[in-house]
Amino acid sequence: MGDVLVNDKYETFVGLEIHIHLLTESKMFCGCKANYGDEPNTNVCPVCLGYPGVLPTVNERAMEMGYVVARALNCRLSRKTYFERKNYFYPDMPKNYQISQFQEPVGVEGYMDFEFGDEIKRIRIHDVHLEEDAGKMIHAGDMSLQDFNRAGYPLLEIVTEPDLKSGEETEAFLRAFRRTVRYLGVCDGNMDEGSMKCDANISINLPGAGLGTKVELKNMNSPRFVRRGLQYEAQRQASVLDEGGKLIQETRLWNENRDITESMRTKEMANDYRYFPEPDMPPFCPDDAFMAAVEEAQVELPLTRKHKLMRKYSLSSEQAEFIHDEKGNADYFERVLALGAEAQSVYTWLSSDVQKELNLLNMTLTRSPLSAERFAELLRLMEEGQISGKIAKQVLIDVFEENEDPSRIVEKKGLSQISDPAAIARIIDKVLGENEQVVQAVREGEQKQKGFLVGQIMKETGGRAAPALVQKILSEKLS
Amino acid sequence: MKDLEGWKKVLTDQDRAKKYREYITGWEKKIGSLLEWKLPEPGKYRDDGSPLSAVPFAVKDNIAVEGFKLTCGSKILEYVKAPYTATGVKNLQDSGAWVMGKTNLDEFGMGSSTDNSALQKTNNPYDTSRVAGGSSGGSAAAVAAGIVPFALGTDTGGSVRQPAGFCGIYGLKPTYGVVSRYGLTAYASSLEVCGVCARTVDTTRSVFHAMRGLDEMDQTTIDFETVSSGVKTVGVLKVEDGSLSAEVAASYETSIARLKKLGYEVREISIPAMDYVVPAYYTIATAEASANLARFNGMRYGLSPIFAESPEDLMRYSRNMGFGEEVKTRILLGTFVLRSGFQDQYYVRAQKIRTLIRQELDEIFAECDVIMLPLFPTAPFHHGQSELTSFQQKQADVYTCLANMTGSPGLAVPSSLEKGLPVGVQFMAPPCGEERLFSVAEELEKVFPAPRPAGYSEEWRS
Ligand SMILES: [Zn+2]
Repeated sequence: MGDVLVNDKYETFVGLEIHIHLLTESKMFCGCKANYGDEPNTNVCPVCLGYPGVLPTVNERAMEMGYVVARALNCRLSRKTYFERKNYFYPDMPKNYQISQFQEPVGVEGYMDFEFGDEIKRIRIHDVHLEEDAGKMIHAGDMSLQDFNRAGYPLLEIVTEPDLKSGEETEAFLRAFRRTVRYLGVCDGNMDEGSMKCDANISINLPGAGLGTKVELKNMNSPRFVRRGLQYEAQRQASVLDEGGKLIQETRLWNENRDITESMRTKEMANDYRYFPEPDMPPFCPDDAFMAAVEEAQVELPLTRKHKLMRKYSLSSEQAEFIHDEKGNADYFERVLALGAEAQSVYTWLSSDVQKELNLLNMTLTRSPLSAERFAELLRLMEEGQISGKIAKQVLIDVFEENEDPSRIVEKKGLSQISDPAAIARIIDKVLGENEQVVQAVREGEQKQKGFLVGQIMKETGGRAAPALVQKILSEKLS
Repeated sequence: MKDLEGWKKVLTDQDRAKKYREYITGWEKKIGSLLEWKLPEPGKYRDDGSPLSAVPFAVKDNIAVEGFKLTCGSKILEYVKAPYTATGVKNLQDSGAWVMGKTNLDEFGMGSSTDNSALQKTNNPYDTSRVAGGSSGGSAAAVAAGIVPFALGTDTGGSVRQPAGFCGIYGLKPTYGVVSRYGLTAYASSLEVCGVCARTVDTTRSVFHAMRGLDEMDQTTIDFETVSSGVKTVGVLKVEDGSLSAEVAASYETSIARLKKLGYEVREISIPAMDYVVPAYYTIATAEASANLARFNGMRYGLSPIFAESPEDLMRYSRNMGFGEEVKTRILLGTFVLRSGFQDQYYVRAQKIRTLIRQELDEIFAECDVIMLPLFPTAPFHHGQSELTSFQQKQADVYTCLANMTGSPGLAVPSSLEKGLPVGVQFMAPPCGEERLFSVAEELEKVFPAPRPAGYSEEWRS
């Protein structure tokens, strides 16, 4: 909606601050389980509750994940990173300062490429840094309660340069980013559950005039809301400028119920974070083994993967888009092909019957009973003519329901195709004997009655008779 | 271990335990060194024969010990119980020692008289009208009175050494990072460390080695690498005329003469960067304090009003009621020096001074095995700080906060009694040079052991 209108006259600049919850076993600076959905205040200890005298100890796994993401985003990696204290008051932040990074984050000056329409866009990454999450306030009547299960949860913040040009482009970038962190296995990327959050800053200006007055935008809980919030905001700013008004530097909240942004605070009310180096932890200097592990953890990133799928297996862009969305699915796809299946057929099955079954059972492909081996076997049985396409669909459902190999199901249920002419001839003789009147009618020229006979033959064989042979032998017998 | 031998039956022998209770009660009426204390039930405690086994000790109340409160001498934490035990204490407990109580202190360790405690007044065992020093005044007084053979303190700018000097005992501030800070309520994280107040050098050494060690709960702990303990050369800081009171100046001369008599090579030294030590120290200490004390907001524990309109109000009420004036002043100072745009002028500059001081001391330690310097410009002063303003008291930290700025170990050693009041002197060594300090102190101890205040007795336990 808004983008077109705004783009006519103004240039839009969007930068993002994306927070992701890292998938670690324990919290960032203590041994508590990183599981914030549990019974309130069960995953807490003196350290994450900020008791007097406690000290933070860095979670090396989180540190590694931070470097893995920074590396995947082409950042310059720090050989000596350290934490700082970011001082501000927040009721559910136990220490009243957040341990974060400022001067020496894990990575800086990176970039990420993504597809927007037919174009490949490059967004510069300002920095990637580690920090801890706060707890949660629960309001109950006139009381406020606090749950600290999430306090100290490892967070990775990725800050982009203001290189995005519209709400649509930002949404596409966010989806690509989400896919990337899922590929790396460091975050599940669920924005609606809060394991990935995104704040945006947006300014508009006349083309060529550089950045305008920056507005921070918060509270957008899905890529779609990010798009709509930015679209609304770009248009709002344009209206202000069109009417000769002046924009103020402020923070605004997206109100998803009213589809508008609302002012939260102006620059004058902004915090002075008074950063200073965290004295309780020494700087972290990754050694060669650590860096090697970071290198080892790199995977083929989504965009590269997609292009490979298109090139290597002649998939269309849409087909590759579908296959590469989840790394597990793309791996699965390639494994089935490696087992001898044919790309188009695999794609067709995955996007239709298999997908239908997964949706029905609310399962993911990689965790379903349909392993790549079973799927390849199913396709092979069909290819070799042992079962028909129709039977194959039935076998697929059985694999999901019974968690067995297709060959075993075919054997157990006697589903293999009958392709012995003598056997088929015997069955045809039986059917013809039971339907003498129909046979008579066909011989007298009522060809459409022949279909009835074919149906009876297939029924007699449970659909297993090789259709071509049935046609051939039946025609011979009736002539 | 002669000093500790005599303590081994006070917890295990019923008769002695009873006398111990009476002795503590008698002294506490006069000096108020303990905020809380308890002895084990008779027969519940056994001596397994190891040096520290069944020996009672006290712990400054800003160090966490499960089963005790953790008040930090503040209203805001007056009723807070420690949910865990500090590593240094745990190490001593594992060696068999028994925590008998928690000692008074200046609120959050901020002060040098213990008069800043919001909970109790502590007096000097030699003259109850005078202070025991601070901030570990309760620990020093308890040891001087013979209530415990040793007590733990914390030293951020002299808080173990200065009260040890005021009370005529030994006070060790170990090398930064050698003893875990886990469980030490942070005031100035990059400066402070758990230390020991004790009656003899031998006890100081045993306790130091029992409590130190790498700790997985404190990533700033370092391995202790013993540097050679032989001491030949002692650098003695040249003190400007008039910067010490007459008594302290006389005592300082006494110690110099003793060193010479003992055969040490005494060399006069000067530390030019000394002029900047106090401003730089207070810049760093208050900056760190402003963040460290921010967690006390009345929400998860501690003093808080029954009702507040908003979380912000709740925090404001709690802090206003809970913090004393000195604490509020230091939090404000720290907030001030960390403001954006002013960091280069204050915090960053203070860190540069810190580096400069380290360099100057490195040069001195290349020539001298240890250095000697005063502890404090005056003898124990009267309550109410009549002799020194709050600003003068801060300036007076110059000799002790030097070791905190460089991370070096420092040891307060009894020097003399002047007009019946103890005066101490201080030794410093390069990092991990604790054994050098013990070596010199032991020589001096033979000539002048820790004095005893009137009312001090060992008879009840012998
Ligand atoms: Zn925890």
